[in-house]
Amino acid sequence: MKKLWLVFKHEYLRHVLTKRFIFAVLSVPLFVALSIGLGFLSVILSTDKRPVGVIDHSGVLSAPVIYPEVDNGPIPFTTFQFFTDPTAAQTALDDGDIQGFYVIGPDYLTTGQVSLTAPEALATGLQGDFANLLRENLLKTQPVELRQRLIAGPEITIHSVTDSRSVSSTNILGVLMPIVAGILFVVAINISGGYLLQAVVEEKENRTMEIVITSVSTDQLMAGKIMGNLSVGLTQLVIWLIAAVIGFAFFANLQSDAGSIEMIRSYLGILALTFLPAFVLVAALMATLGATATEAREAQQISGLFSLPIFMPLWFITAILEHPDSALAVGFSLFPLTAPLTLPLRAAISTVPTWQIGLSLAILVVAAVGSVWLASRAFRLGMLRYGKKLTLRELLLGTG
Amino acid sequence: MTTIAVDQISKRFGQQTAVDAVSFTVEPGEIFALLGPNGAGKTTAIRIILDIFKADSGTVSVLGGPMTEAKKDRLGYLPEERGLYQDGQLDRTLVYLATLKGLSGPDASRKVDQMLKRFELYDHRKKKIKELSKGMQQKAQLIVTLIHDPELIIIDEPFSALDPVNTQMVKDLLREERDKGTCIVMCTHQMHQVEELADRLVLINQGKVVLYGGLQEIRRSYSGQEVHVHALTEIPTGLPGAALIEKDNSGYRIHLEPSTTPQSLLRNLVERGVQLEKFEVAIPTLDEIFIQVVTAEGHPQ
Repeated sequence: MKKLWLVFKHEYLRHVLTKRFIFAVLSVPLFVALSIGLGFLSVILSTDKRPVGVIDHSGVLSAPVIYPEVDNGPIPFTTFQFFTDPTAAQTALDDGDIQGFYVIGPDYLTTGQVSLTAPEALATGLQGDFANLLRENLLKTQPVELRQRLIAGPEITIHSVTDSRSVSSTNILGVLMPIVAGILFVVAINISGGYLLQAVVEEKENRTMEIVITSVSTDQLMAGKIMGNLSVGLTQLVIWLIAAVIGFAFFANLQSDAGSIEMIRSYLGILALTFLPAFVLVAALMATLGATATEAREAQQISGLFSLPIFMPLWFITAILEHPDSALAVGFSLFPLTAPLTLPLRAAISTVPTWQIGLSLAILVVAAVGSVWLASRAFRLGMLRYGKKLTLRELLLGTG
Repeated sequence: MTTIAVDQISKRFGQQTAVDAVSFTVEPGEIFALLGPNGAGKTTAIRIILDIFKADSGTVSVLGGPMTEAKKDRLGYLPEERGLYQDGQLDRTLVYLATLKGLSGPDASRKVDQMLKRFELYDHRKKKIKELSKGMQQKAQLIVTLIHDPELIIIDEPFSALDPVNTQMVKDLLREERDKGTCIVMCTHQMHQVEELADRLVLINQGKVVLYGGLQEIRRSYSGQEVHVHALTEIPTGLPGAALIEKDNSGYRIHLEPSTTPQSLLRNLVERGVQLEKFEVAIPTLDEIFIQVVTAEGHPQ
């Protein structure tokens, strides 16, 4: 066991301490944060902060309630400046003090007529804000909760026919976060598998293998390598998840209604259950590939064949999310290479039947065990072949 | 206790027999040479001894019994196909491989420093392996083989890539290890190194043992078919017992007829009044024996 730990530590540190790993781990959240930050910055910088003039001939805005009634964060909100004299408003517009001005006709309540004078089209959000200002003030004698409900509109909860699960249409975070985490999860598995592939092929290319296997058993070596690279993937995943949570908390003030927490919890359960067999499956397939290939470049090219099915559910993400119980979604949940992404995706928006989770995990575990068997066979037969490829026939039928 | 006892081991790969009923023993405190042309089955035999391959038949005993995981810490192996993690830092790589051989972290670090100084690599310890010359990498690999003071050392072509100075250093090191009681099995094609170092040898050709025994004993057994003579007078033609007489600047080389011994030839020379200055039974070099045996047995393609 001590040697397994030594191999594990060696495998883990040789990746985690490299500049390439640190760059790979930090670049994704930094890139996302930078993109979001630049997006916000461009909105803030491009938003015209000047007020919009309003001349009210209808009396709707006498002693007006100001909209919006709450601060909406870093993006500046529209402010309105009230004029009684159209000439003063025109002068302010000419002087560039306001973006434009609305004139509410005296018969607004019956005709809804409003005119806008502006040198260029106002932002869509600003038009909405003006409409909300009118709505608020039309109802200003009503309680504030009623006014805000009118502005916010209904919160629709979608129930599936066979499902006890319900999803709030406004709880975007509850749906989005598991999907993002699921994608990060398979990316981490794939990257870890890639590290393992690289580690195995390099050991073969470097001719270090024969020295190592006369110091440690092939079982301990395999287990140490798989665990070490699994931990590399986990480290990457955890850092990305922490960054994602911080990002969501920062930008969306992290909604915390009980429903989304419950959903994330059950989703994380499925994620945790699938992670180990999924990783072992991918890692063992990569190790098999590494042991049978003759050089790293060749192995990297073939490894793309494994990545294809792993990411395939993303191509059908709309179909899976719209019909989480369809034959396609169930089929993808049961196929070992597509299950790691499909199951969490379905779990994010519906309750996956227990039998499907059980069957999917069982198939995944059997596939993982089978691939480990294949990997140890490839390891034994292929690792000491230098410059000569191990054929599939030899792998399945040969002896070492 | 015999360090290695190989008894009738055979191994086939598909239709090809790599090792065919090979037997030999290696004793403690000796340098044992495992010889053979390319593809003779040497590496397969070593891999069977080290339990990397399983023999189809026959038994192997290493350090008193079958190979176990625990015994791996008691042997040092330098394979023919060898290398180190090219991106690894020299001292860290050596410490890692030393800990895999059972040394504790601090012991491994201390021993690595000692060995690096001895092999004159200490100033390069922070370099990546790929930044070292081929000879330096070879020395680093020897450090990996020896660092844990193994009881059994198996080395394949230990002198490849070494300059004469480092070759001498490695020879001294191997003799030192032998004198400490370590058993050394050495695979090499450099026969003069075997003649200098080995106590006993086995020669494998086409998977079979064709020569086995003490170095001097084998050389003596191949001697007696040729004598070197310096004479003050001419050697007469038609000398009884001489199959062929060759003359060169250093004297005469006389090839004996199969039924003739050096003693009877000497008697014939004296009886015919040849005034001898030197009479020497030629002992063939290992190179000559190797070529003779392998050519007679057939060389694998």
